[in-house]
Amino acid sequence: MSFEWLHPALIATALVLAVIGAVRRVSLWRAGQPDQVNLMAGLMAMPKRYLHDLHDVVERDKYMSKTHAATGGGFVLSAVLIILVHLFDVDSQILAWALLASSALMFVGALFVFKRRLNPPSRISKGPWMRLPKSLLAFAGSFFILTLPAAGILPEGFLLQTGNVLLTVVLTALIIWGMGEMFFGMSWGGPMKHAFAGALHLAFHRRQERFGGGRSTGLKPVDLSVVEEFNPATSDKQVLGVAKPKDFKWNQLLGFDACVQCGRCEAMCPAFAAGQPLNPKKLIQDMVIGLAGGDDAKYAGSPYPGKEVGNAKGGPELIITDGLVSPETLWSCTTCRACVEECPMMIEHVDAIVDMRRFLTMEKGETPNKGAEILDNIIATDNPNGYSPASRTNWAADQNLPVMSDVKQAEVLFWVSDGAFDMRSQRILRSFVKLLKAANVDFAVLGDEELDSGDVARRLGDDAAFQNLAKRNLETLSKYKFSKIVTTDPHAYHCLRNEYQDLGSNALDGVEVLHHTTFLNELVQAGKLRLDSFNGGTVTYHDPCYLGRYNGEYEAPRELLRSLGIEIAEMERSGFRSRCCGGGGGAPITDIPGERRIADMRMEEVNSTGAELVAVGCQQCTAMLEGVAEPRPEVKDIAEILAGQLIEEVH
Amino acid sequence: MSQFDVLFEPLKINKLTIRNRIVSTAHAEVYATDGGMTTDRYVKYYEEKAKGGCGLCICGGSSVVSIDSPQSWWSSVNLSTDRIIPHFQNLADAVHKHGGKIMIQITHMGRRSRWDGENWPNLMSPSGIREPVHRATCKTIEEEEIWRVIGDFAQAARRAKEGGLDGVELSAVHQHMIDQFWSPRVNKRTDQWGGTFENRMRFGMEVLKAVREEVGPDFVVGLRITGDEFHPDGLNHDDMKEIAAYYNATGQIDYFGVVGSGCDTHNTLANVIPNMSYPPEPFLHLAAGIKEVVDVPVIHAQNIKDPNQAKRIIEAGCVDFVGMTRAHIADPHLIAKIKMDQVDQIRQCVGANYCIDRQYMGLDVLCIQNAATSREYMGLPHIIEKTDGPVRKVVVVGGGPGGLEAARVAAERGHNVTLIEKADELGGQLTLAARAPQRDQIAGITRWLVMELERLGVDIRLGTAADENLVRELKPDVCVLATGGRPFVEQNPEWGADEGLITASWDILSGKVEPGKNILIYDTICEFSGMSTADYAAAKGSLVELVTDDIKPGVGIGGTTFPTYYRSLYEKEVIMTSDFLLEKVYREGDNLVAVLENEYTGQREERVVDQVVVENGIRPNEELYYALKEESRNKGQIDNEALFDIKPQPVLSESGDGMILWRLGDCVSQRNVHAAMYDALRLCKDL
Repeated sequence: MSFEWLHPALIATALVLAVIGAVRRVSLWRAGQPDQVNLMAGLMAMPKRYLHDLHDVVERDKYMSKTHAATGGGFVLSAVLIILVHLFDVDSQILAWALLASSALMFVGALFVFKRRLNPPSRISKGPWMRLPKSLLAFAGSFFILTLPAAGILPEGFLLQTGNVLLTVVLTALIIWGMGEMFFGMSWGGPMKHAFAGALHLAFHRRQERFGGGRSTGLKPVDLSVVEEFNPATSDKQVLGVAKPKDFKWNQLLGFDACVQCGRCEAMCPAFAAGQPLNPKKLIQDMVIGLAGGDDAKYAGSPYPGKEVGNAKGGPELIITDGLVSPETLWSCTTCRACVEECPMMIEHVDAIVDMRRFLTMEKGETPNKGAEILDNIIATDNPNGYSPASRTNWAADQNLPVMSDVKQAEVLFWVSDGAFDMRSQRILRSFVKLLKAANVDFAVLGDEELDSGDVARRLGDDAAFQNLAKRNLETLSKYKFSKIVTTDPHAYHCLRNEYQDLGSNALDGVEVLHHTTFLNELVQAGKLRLDSFNGGTVTYHDPCYLGRYNGEYEAPRELLRSLGIEIAEMERSGFRSRCCGGGGGAPITDIPGERRIADMRMEEVNSTGAELVAVGCQQCTAMLEGVAEPRPEVKDIAEILAGQLIEEVH
Repeated sequence: MSQFDVLFEPLKINKLTIRNRIVSTAHAEVYATDGGMTTDRYVKYYEEKAKGGCGLCICGGSSVVSIDSPQSWWSSVNLSTDRIIPHFQNLADAVHKHGGKIMIQITHMGRRSRWDGENWPNLMSPSGIREPVHRATCKTIEEEEIWRVIGDFAQAARRAKEGGLDGVELSAVHQHMIDQFWSPRVNKRTDQWGGTFENRMRFGMEVLKAVREEVGPDFVVGLRITGDEFHPDGLNHDDMKEIAAYYNATGQIDYFGVVGSGCDTHNTLANVIPNMSYPPEPFLHLAAGIKEVVDVPVIHAQNIKDPNQAKRIIEAGCVDFVGMTRAHIADPHLIAKIKMDQVDQIRQCVGANYCIDRQYMGLDVLCIQNAATSREYMGLPHIIEKTDGPVRKVVVVGGGPGGLEAARVAAERGHNVTLIEKADELGGQLTLAARAPQRDQIAGITRWLVMELERLGVDIRLGTAADENLVRELKPDVCVLATGGRPFVEQNPEWGADEGLITASWDILSGKVEPGKNILIYDTICEFSGMSTADYAAAKGSLVELVTDDIKPGVGIGGTTFPTYYRSLYEKEVIMTSDFLLEKVYREGDNLVAVLENEYTGQREERVVDQVVVENGIRPNEELYYALKEESRNKGQIDNEALFDIKPQPVLSESGDGMILWRLGDCVSQRNVHAAMYDALRLCKDL
């Protein structure tokens, strides 16, 4: 029959168009900056990452996980088989039957997608995504039928008989629709783009360490040589931070393209919930607009709270904050990584935000509200609040702490952090010291030699200040011998553990960096601290972002509380889903207005457990939660709770 | 950033780092019994301050170095024997454990003591001139004795050092031996120990030299001096600057403590521990003047009670350390509360001087409003823990200091507390007391208690007169009656209270009755109330005669407080008449005639006045008590054995029906603020 060429031709066309689209898409990504990625190794690792890391996230929503496995698995299998059966005409009943099975599987999956879309939650984007289940059904259904003859269920050529013109026309239309969505759309920017970009993103992810649960930072030191050796000829080509989409690394752009607009990030984002002008999903979509050019008129999800959709325009060569994303969106982020943790596509929202902040701070000097003052303080005094550097150890005037400059070595270096300047935090520090002494730990502090870790500077985008602090801290650290660093500050902990290693020092080689709850838990488990049980009523635990999501420590604080006989009344949002206190990322400094305070929302969640005491492991969380108007539960660091139950030896 | 950071900047004295700028300066505690040994009570008293965060405690005001400087009158610490050393070790350990530092003031009091007891010594002073405040006669000290005392200072310093204390403070203030030599007012010698500046300085310099030789260069040795004796023939501020500079030049003094005013008269003594009639830090300028001429840290105490005030003084650079000694007596946790951002919860000293006025009588130092102070060793808590027993319904009737304290303590224990007060405001008799001139600060006791009750969520019902039915309706598990009393003006029917011939002092102070133009106030109590009423009426323009049958008006008021009343009353030309009884009052035309009778001669005098005011103490309001007594589980009884032992009342752990009923304060018998609050604390702490 004269129409036999039709479907193979359509398939071939779709695939060719898909390849052209892919090439075009890749070229969009390639507008980004180079990044060192081992392409082959990435590709090899991709299936495992899909089945393990990505699936672990998707699995949190059992319905969608099963649906996606059926639909996605069915599709991948079907696509391969379609090429074999219908394009290359491999005459194999087994393949045809397999294709029937895979397309049926996909069809069933697509039915569930369809069902989900009947009454979708607000976090999910609508628009083109609403047609996706139908496209999936069209694709799966049409190829199922198209394959029936090849499987021998219908006679060969049945569909192309003149009597079945109508069927053929309909079927062909469905195939065109299905393939248009699935092949063409995949590389030209339809919803299915997520599969193409998502797969590659898994392979070429900027933070390869995160697969398999590794801890790292995506904030790599900014190359400051451009500042150090100023060259007017190149100065406007080299920019600090990300001004335009093309300033992102190419694989970051790729990552943005992987977004499925599921809105899980939106549902988790504390700033969004507080009514601040940030929605991580919209942000990523704006990044997509930036990399591809255009505007957000077709965006069909929740807006940035308080902002209308439709006014954002961007392109690879356009400055992002000049019309695509407003600076206050970037400054609303607490860097809590709730979005990152929740994103099934492993997108790194926070790193992108900080990259863009770097431009605003370092190139434009536009850190809002208290930002500029804080950064000036850091530069002048090595701490964000501008305390006299000589007052850093005032808190310990009565503690008789061994100081590294005297003792030169100790088993544990207690990194005190800037809580040293704050009376509230000093109570945590004193409690921790009490515990260290009770357990006879050989420890020392750096005293006035310690500087701010640089966390705030880095999160506010001033990487120059961060690097300056970090390098000087590393220089100090390199003078002494110790096998562990323990700190009560999860922010310093993250910097020391994950960020200092990029600065070319070996001061921390072989050094274990620990949060105090981890270390205290070791002491308690080893029987080095004698503790009374706690009967102070109901207790809940608030996971600090930089301890939990950033560093994966969820268990030690809980085990410590349990060791006091406390049965933790867990909040609904706890563990990796803990909600930020609102204190990270310099958010209290840039202080972007919203409708609610994040800390207030968090305290409501505490209240809903009926807790009289909320245990925390971070001075910043303590400050934020204690900032909530009373009456409210008491807020105590775990070190304080432990110190309160310490059975002291009577001499 | 805390507004108080400046207070928490550590500072070194010699090589000793003091963790903050707040010091408890030397005061006589009157706790060192057993021949001047520091006791458990003494140690716990200072440990509590260290626990509360105090940077430096200088203990043992006027601790003696020699056996002929008597210690027993004020139970002061005795450093004349090695027996003290182990006691110091306990003290030092207790304070060091909490990061505090502790030093002791050492002295030979010279003529400023009493000879009629203990070893019956001849008191000594440079020129044998009598000291009026202690009515102390003395001999002229001889050369041999001078050198012996110098040696005693050195040995005492050694004992402090061996006991682990962080330093000694040489007292050259309050007219002790060293400043007796300094002052030309009492040093009339013509030998090498008197006359010229260098000669007058010699004794102190030799003491310093001997002490330094004994303890070495690193042990802290401070010198406490006056900033101005305020005597025309005494040492003035310029003299004191010269002296400070002279001693400073030796390089052997590690800090100077500066006190405004001399104190060898009753009137100057009152300056030394300024009571509530003084403005804040009245003598700071003197300390600042000394700081100008020395290059070691300067400590100054005297009416610094508030963290904001302390911060302002340190920030301004007037001195390096502020003494907040009475502030610590009122609340040894004041620094912890600053750090906890609980400044509003600090129980602030009101300058009632109950502490120091007891001390001058040789009684143990207690706080008018904090009964736990110095009773830490008995187990009275400054921080009241929540009960782990049953939560009870507690009804307190009466919002005076006793009732407020009972409500506070019960609420801190976690009970449901209702406080019922008949008047429209809380405070009871404190409210009256605060209406007198210069006595307004006593209302600070009420202010703090009310703020605490509000913080603790006590149900306060003002303007509600409680009767037995109201109490029953509330179904209390425990009912505490603190219903106070009423003026006892009907004791002598001849006074004519029933006929309305006399006015109760309360009615004058409360403003209910306007003071007349020409009034006689008859005061049998001779404490604050009569003096305050006289001062109040005089301030309103009345011509006042204050008459008492006691030996002098205000005789019951302590040594740092009656002088400020006298200043005020004499200035307003109040006539003070003692030794006369009010026999009778009768009306004559528009006037009243008060018939007075001399207690010793029976001679009668009459006064024609337009108003007779009587202060004759109070009778308890006990009607409600007797109305509830029978139905109460414990028949209203308090187990005194448990009470005095600071143990829980046995009835609390016994089962039974009906409420537990206690009464305390003036509704039992008239005592004072401290007594009412002490009972409230010791009864309710185990509730």
